[in-house]
Amino acid sequence: MPKLIIDDREIEVPAGTKVIQAAERLGIMIPRFCFHEALGSLGACRLCAVKFKEGPVKGIEMSCMVEARDGMVVSTTDPDAVSFRKWIIECLMLNHPHDCPVCDEGGHCLLQDETVSGGHGIRRYQGKKRTYVDQDLGPFVRHEMNRCIHCWRCRRFYQDFSGYRDLGALQIANRTYFGRFESGRLENPFSGNLIDLCPTGVYTDKPARFKGRRWNFERGPSLCPHCSLGCNTTGSARYREMVRQEARLNEDVNGYFICDRGRFGFDFANHPHRPRNARSAGEEVSWERGIETAAERLGAIVREAGPDAVLCVGSPRCSLETQVSLRELCRVSGWSAPRFFLESSTSRKVRSAVSKLDEGTAVSMRRIEDADFVLLLGADPVNEAPMSALAVRQAQRKGAAVAVVDPRPVFLPFPFDHLTVTPDRMDLCAAVIVKRALSGDNTATLSGEAAGFLESLPSGYPFDPELHSRMDGIAQALERSERPVIVCGTNIVGESTPGLAGDLAHLLGRTAKKAGLFYLLPGPNAFGAGLQSSTDDPISVLETLEGGKIKALLLVEQDLFRSQFDQERLDRALQNLDCLIVLDYLPSPSVEKADLVLPTTPLFERTPSTFVNQEGRLQQATPVHRGGTPISQVGCGSRPPRTFEDHVPGGDPKAAHEVLDELYRSLGSHERKPLTAEFGDWKAENRSALEDSSLVFVGDRVFSKDAPDKLFSSKITPTEPREKGMEVLSVDWTFGTEELSGYSRVAQKGESVPKLVLHADDAARLGLVEGDKAALQFDAGETILEVGIATNMASGVIVVPGHRLLERQVSAQQPTIVPDNRIRKI
Amino acid sequence: MLPKELEQELRKRIEESDHPREEVINVMYAVQNHYGYMCDEAVHETAALLGMTSLEVDELATFYDFIYREPVGRFVIHACDGLVCWMFGEESVVDYLCRKLNIRIGETTKDGLFTVLPSVCIGYCDHAPAILINGEFYGSLTPSRIDDILDDLRKSHCALVRDR
Amino acid sequence: MGEQVLLKNFRPDRPATIDEYRQSGGYEALTKAVREMKPGDVIELIKDSGLRGRGGAGFPTGVKWSGVPEDAPFPRYVVPNTDEMEPGTFKDRVLVNADPHLVIEGIVLAAFAVSAQKGIFFVRPSYEMDAELIERELQVARDAGFLGDHILGGDFSFDMAVHRSAGRYICGEATAQINAVQGQRPHPVKGGPHMTEEGLWKRPTLVNNVETLSCIPHILRNGADWFKGLAKTETGAGTKLYTVSGRIRRPGCYELPIGTRLSEILEDCGGGMPPGTEFKACLPGGASTGFLPRKFYDLELDFDPMKKVGQRLGTGAVVVFDQNTCLVAVTLNLIEFFARESCGFCTPCREGLPFVRDLLRRIEEGEGKEEFIPMLHQMAANMRHAYCAFAPGAAAPLQGLLDFFTDEIREHIARKQCPFKAGNGKAEQGRG
Repeated sequence: MPKLIIDDREIEVPAGTKVIQAAERLGIMIPRFCFHEALGSLGACRLCAVKFKEGPVKGIEMSCMVEARDGMVVSTTDPDAVSFRKWIIECLMLNHPHDCPVCDEGGHCLLQDETVSGGHGIRRYQGKKRTYVDQDLGPFVRHEMNRCIHCWRCRRFYQDFSGYRDLGALQIANRTYFGRFESGRLENPFSGNLIDLCPTGVYTDKPARFKGRRWNFERGPSLCPHCSLGCNTTGSARYREMVRQEARLNEDVNGYFICDRGRFGFDFANHPHRPRNARSAGEEVSWERGIETAAERLGAIVREAGPDAVLCVGSPRCSLETQVSLRELCRVSGWSAPRFFLESSTSRKVRSAVSKLDEGTAVSMRRIEDADFVLLLGADPVNEAPMSALAVRQAQRKGAAVAVVDPRPVFLPFPFDHLTVTPDRMDLCAAVIVKRALSGDNTATLSGEAAGFLESLPSGYPFDPELHSRMDGIAQALERSERPVIVCGTNIVGESTPGLAGDLAHLLGRTAKKAGLFYLLPGPNAFGAGLQSSTDDPISVLETLEGGKIKALLLVEQDLFRSQFDQERLDRALQNLDCLIVLDYLPSPSVEKADLVLPTTPLFERTPSTFVNQEGRLQQATPVHRGGTPISQVGCGSRPPRTFEDHVPGGDPKAAHEVLDELYRSLGSHERKPLTAEFGDWKAENRSALEDSSLVFVGDRVFSKDAPDKLFSSKITPTEPREKGMEVLSVDWTFGTEELSGYSRVAQKGESVPKLVLHADDAARLGLVEGDKAALQFDAGETILEVGIATNMASGVIVVPGHRLLERQVSAQQPTIVPDNRIRKI
Repeated sequence: MLPKELEQELRKRIEESDHPREEVINVMYAVQNHYGYMCDEAVHETAALLGMTSLEVDELATFYDFIYREPVGRFVIHACDGLVCWMFGEESVVDYLCRKLNIRIGETTKDGLFTVLPSVCIGYCDHAPAILINGEFYGSLTPSRIDDILDDLRKSHCALVRDR
Repeated sequence: MGEQVLLKNFRPDRPATIDEYRQSGGYEALTKAVREMKPGDVIELIKDSGLRGRGGAGFPTGVKWSGVPEDAPFPRYVVPNTDEMEPGTFKDRVLVNADPHLVIEGIVLAAFAVSAQKGIFFVRPSYEMDAELIERELQVARDAGFLGDHILGGDFSFDMAVHRSAGRYICGEATAQINAVQGQRPHPVKGGPHMTEEGLWKRPTLVNNVETLSCIPHILRNGADWFKGLAKTETGAGTKLYTVSGRIRRPGCYELPIGTRLSEILEDCGGGMPPGTEFKACLPGGASTGFLPRKFYDLELDFDPMKKVGQRLGTGAVVVFDQNTCLVAVTLNLIEFFARESCGFCTPCREGLPFVRDLLRRIEEGEGKEEFIPMLHQMAANMRHAYCAFAPGAAAPLQGLLDFFTDEIREHIARKQCPFKAGNGKAEQGRG
């Protein structure tokens, strides 16, 4: 550990630390443009110059390029260094347009800060300024090249860090231009990070353009609710309206970045049709009346049909507070335990995943970056949980082998080995790879049950002979690895897969390897839902409703009409109900059909809310603003306001757990304390509401106390010959399939036309070519889509996005088989 | 579209290379030679041949001065304005050429015959002032010698056109 | 003129053939190396010979070669650098055209010394004719068994191809050259492992100037002491190709013992100044060296003696200026060149050079101010902290102008015009 002195203060840092980082540890922020913690050193801007006075390096050097070594004496305030840095700023300002008044970066611009702090104030250059022509980079990122100071961060993030290849550096010398080959939407689903990374206003947030300065905004540390990874964000709001979302550093989760879905999905909270008032039978009612009505209706139904006639369904997007409250409400009211998933298979897969994750095996995205082997099993990171793709990319950059076992045409922004097997063969394929990787020496340490499990794994894969040699190659890479990670999806995979992935990861972990397990779950708090549901759901919510016993359905931030193909069937099932009560902030079809609507607030408003990400990490979103209908939607902008009121328009909605609490009190229960009275701050000692017998807390993470449960119980069942026809898989896309961002007018601009995709061989057999329109006939009706053709996917499979623009969607219940004669070209 | 033979020849070349990307400049030269300059289509063709994106090819095409991203004339004159060549003559070769051809630096004559590009030292300082025309070197230039060279090139071009 | 080593086979009309080269002892060194020597022996010999890189930096060649670790992975590469874009420099062209097989043998020997398999002959576009010559002669060497599989029937195999560059001065910088070969933007790369460990495709790579490489066969044949003895200076070794251009009677490329005095080079070889002119200053080694004023007229042009007086040998390309040449205008021309050729990677180079250009242009056009002088001083100093050696090189003539010709700058400023322009009084003829 080298010890050095910076500005008269001594510090010891790990070997390999750059001087600029060592200084930062002392709280000395050496000016920089090109250096970025995530991107590393470059040495291009020359702004971080310091004077080395003693030690192995002497004179003016760049602190980002020099590693801290013993005996160094460094001065950041030496007059030579200060004057050099001032000159660098002067150089960078030669061509800068000084258009801060009309630049959105103004107020949080690194170039402004460094210019002022560097002391450059008088312009000595009298020549003409260089100018550029800007490009249209699509709906998210605004391009203004004249402001560029050529720090190279954009190109390095775009090409090196994230692996996309449509933005780079053109031209030479002081004409160097950062942009695309031609105007057009950035292909990179992480493109919004250019906005955060750019030290000045070359890349600015297009949807937030001219909405305000940093200091005009109400801001708060928040979380991204658009997948299960729980990326940390900072939300900005103005005039009761969410304006923008930026990445917030969390070294274990998302690092410095977020994906574009996370950045531009927030607008669901500004939806003009968002329910803002309590509604009963289609009529607006007062908030109190709404609560009373709900209590009365539920009370009456319980009296008439018993407590079992009430079904509560929460969702994986509910906060943990809401999930806990819902569970408590059901318990104290004597109702059956709440559901959190519409499909029973989803609940089983999530619970299976939760049961396998424990402290030793669950890995963060940070740990994935350090993996030397990554197996993606039924996981499509870019589409399902984009930031996980960026994590795997970092591992790949450091030399990790990446293998994908998936029937879909999975795209990752780097080379990887893709075994395109059909869903029914994925378990076998993964098991065979692990079996072949673990043989001989590396299995000596295995205990009885682990050894038995390994023994039970099949070693032969009788299908797809063209894949065999590649499977061997992957097995060898896994055998060589020291830090393998299995990333397992829970969307298209069978119910057995998450459990198997867990067992395989634990098995690898019992050898000398430090193995990791990483699931992609369906929703920002799916893990919480998994922890809160006491048993697997035996049948789906729809089937339960069809049973006819349920008379009252309480939906909490849940939409029955999402991902449900057979809407007529659902409508029929709803006829059985006496009362449908919906608590939500989305203007969903369920809200439309509800007898009673009690609007709630999303995580950006009112109260803090807690979410558990897919690795068990408890994280809290603090409110960005107080809530209420955006001024742009109520006030017509007239100033001064014509009328003065003492309440915030649209200020009635409360967080779902608060609504549940009011409902609970209105139901006249004997216990009068709030449902989450003891929930408190999850970081504090007092979290007894959570600290029940089934949970274990480890640092910031929470796991099931039983985990790993049913370890090594996975069986590879021989695949049954299935019905003839094409298996239709409902899949996620980065844009258009996720529920919340589907209500974001901003994120909608990122959507592309939904397409079905099938293998070229199947397309040839079915007489389909790229761009055709084809109809898929299901039992309940027809879906018409454009045809896409791929060769990097399994045959016998049709991939259809669960896209909001598709009228009919494929049921999430797998598998759905469509015979050839029910696929026709239009 | 590239002619079949050229495309096949380039494909073969790329396949034989241990590192296809090493061939990018050769491919750009060949494609530029076919199109007359590195037009957008030429960039796309190069990218497709090498498995690169058009942006990646353009990052290189716009960097180098012997790849022309804008239309050029039949004869591309790289006129050396390096130190030694510039020291010779009351008027630099670049200035003289531009005046003679009635164009500005970087422009092409109306008849599409000549383009004048300024060039760094071309390594013929012992024959200063010197220029390259379509890669061929002409040295020890004087105004009258430049006139003769331009006349010869014009004549040879006319003869070529006539023969066709 | 002293002993002709590298240009021994020079003839004005055509390159030497392989037979002529062999008659003069060509390929004996390679035969000896392949049959009798170990790679390590060659490196030791080159170290002993005191050979220093002729591309401009003057790094000891043997030391560079020994940077290739013995257990380094294969394939390993040799990249003979014939980019030669330093203004005023044309020695590599002369050398390749004089005796192509000398160059080839030197490369193959370097490859032998570091156990390299592949050579990439990097040639600039204006040397297309030379590229074709090299390609032709490589085949001749291959046919004769000096190149390709099992050279001279031994275990050593090495082959070479020509890489045609598409221009740009920065491609001469070794790390940028590697990027260029790999089809990446040719930016220099610093801070990583040395190229002898991780160069082309992350494999050990030698990038050597062809003049440097051409010394190798002679050293192997005649020994390190002989090579050292060729020099005129104590610490120097070998001969040097000096190219002389500018205001001189007989511009050309001359092989002289390294350390020959500037005055001898100009007078004995260059034939002295043209009639009616007198020596004012010269650049000793291309555009990225400083002006040598009259007081250095007898300076020994070798690495160490020049370093002692704060100057650099560079490529040994001597560009001569007479009393009628405006050095402000010369510097402006050079800065213009550097500003145009900057790869655009780092700030001092990309932005600083146009800044300097603007100041010099204003001075030259009569808009200069006294305060520009300290500004230029500051910028010349700051330029040294750029990313690679490009901007420091650009600063060298500027620094020379400031060190020795401030009066000339002041005269521009005071008279609000260039005193050298025709009609402005100072000179009857000639331009800046």
